Amino acid sequence: MAVPISQMFTVSSYVIAQKIKRVKRYPLVLMLEPIFRCNLACAGCGKIQYPDHVLDRRLTPEQCWAASDECGAPIVSIPGGEPLIHPEMSEIVRGLVERKKYVYLCTNAILLERKIDEYQPSKYLTFSIHMDGLRNEHDLAVCRDGVYDVAVKAIKTALKKGFRVTTNTTLFDDANTDRVRSFFDEMMDLGVEGMMISPGYSYDKAPDQKSFLKRDRTHELFSRLLSNRKRGWQFNQSPLFLEFLMGKRDYQCTPWGNPTYNVFGWQKPCYLLQDGYVSDFATLLKETDWENYGTGRNEKCKDCMVHCGYEATAVEDTFSSWSGFAGTVKATLFPNAT
Amino acid sequence: MSQDQLPPNQEKDLQGSVFRPSSEEELSDVVDQAFDYRGDVTIELKSGESIVGYVFGRTKTDSRADVGVFPTAKPGQLTIQYADIAAITFSGKDTAYGQSWEAWIQKKKEEGRK
Repeated sequence: MAVPISQMFTVSSYVIAQKIKRVKRYPLVLMLEPIFRCNLACAGCGKIQYPDHVLDRRLTPEQCWAASDECGAPIVSIPGGEPLIHPEMSEIVRGLVERKKYVYLCTNAILLERKIDEYQPSKYLTFSIHMDGLRNEHDLAVCRDGVYDVAVKAIKTALKKGFRVTTNTTLFDDANTDRVRSFFDEMMDLGVEGMMISPGYSYDKAPDQKSFLKRDRTHELFSRLLSNRKRGWQFNQSPLFLEFLMGKRDYQCTPWGNPTYNVFGWQKPCYLLQDGYVSDFATLLKETDWENYGTGRNEKCKDCMVHCGYEATAVEDTFSSWSGFAGTVKATLFPNAT
Repeated sequence: MSQDQLPPNQEKDLQGSVFRPSSEEELSDVVDQAFDYRGDVTIELKSGESIVGYVFGRTKTDSRADVGVFPTAKPGQLTIQYADIAAITFSGKDTAYGQSWEAWIQKKKEEGRK
């Protein structure tokens, strides 16, 4: 099983509590971006294109903890930029772990071996390593040779030291099914706890504007990848979300499920779009025109199937009805059933 | 995407463009462009003062119309009212504009030929 029982219990309890309280919009994962500066410039990333003085800004540990307290989500994902560049990242993580948040520290792993002794292994802390495929594919995607080998070495080190490690993979239009499946084999052979996969989002500001997947291509690609799945592959994601990627389920986006906080404030409406910022979480929930976003509602959302919007929908589906729960059990036990 | 339509990050390079809006609608449009721009701008105020910085936010409702700026000259942030803006110059480099991806692909193709 990819995700520890304690984490599954925490998330389940949290979601059930929201339903009992009849909370219509609740956050599941806080996307915390303490810094935008990065040591790579990946082809599919639209997150880091800012003037230097903006890249130099960063959230303090106190701001990070306050955002987590304000939001209340049980999981905190820390993407960037490259989070390990932040000089106080280990302190930020320490404070979140003390709050019993399940932290996914996203990193390209270039700095991981240098920084790893600043962290303590914990069931609450996972290093989520950016890996977009086998060596050729990954180095091409991150626009630098040698990064794959550095990341593999760092994964081995982190696992040896007792840390939870997952991989985070974004796929684009040029993905080769056989090679991606081989990549899944390699990552599981390394011993990672699980893998996260997603189609890339078509950021306006990303350098490569030609390789983003359209919706029908996403269905086609993920069907080929995830059909006849190997038993040894562990995906650190809702099985219903994976079925959504394969085109087996139709979901609407839940943009408030993964609210984003960064140096600009709370981002409207979601992790991927930047339509404005507000100073507090309550205002984000209250003042965002949620009905303007999602499949069929906004041109910018047309081909988006990214986990930051749809995984929360899948989780909600699991807990909203007996059929959703049964579907989750079936998809977990029999992933290759048609 | 049609062949004659450029991708969003190559549609136009606004660097150097100066806008002196003559109506509220024009002002809103220019502020939206400044918000979307991934470079610094120079905001000329009606008072004669100029502020150079990054426009990270804008809010326009019935009761409020202001712009959030990270100034280059000092830490912290500034809030500027729409009503105080005389002109906006896209003075800094657009960090998202360009063809860095094509250059990388070209490099890999050349390596493949060797």
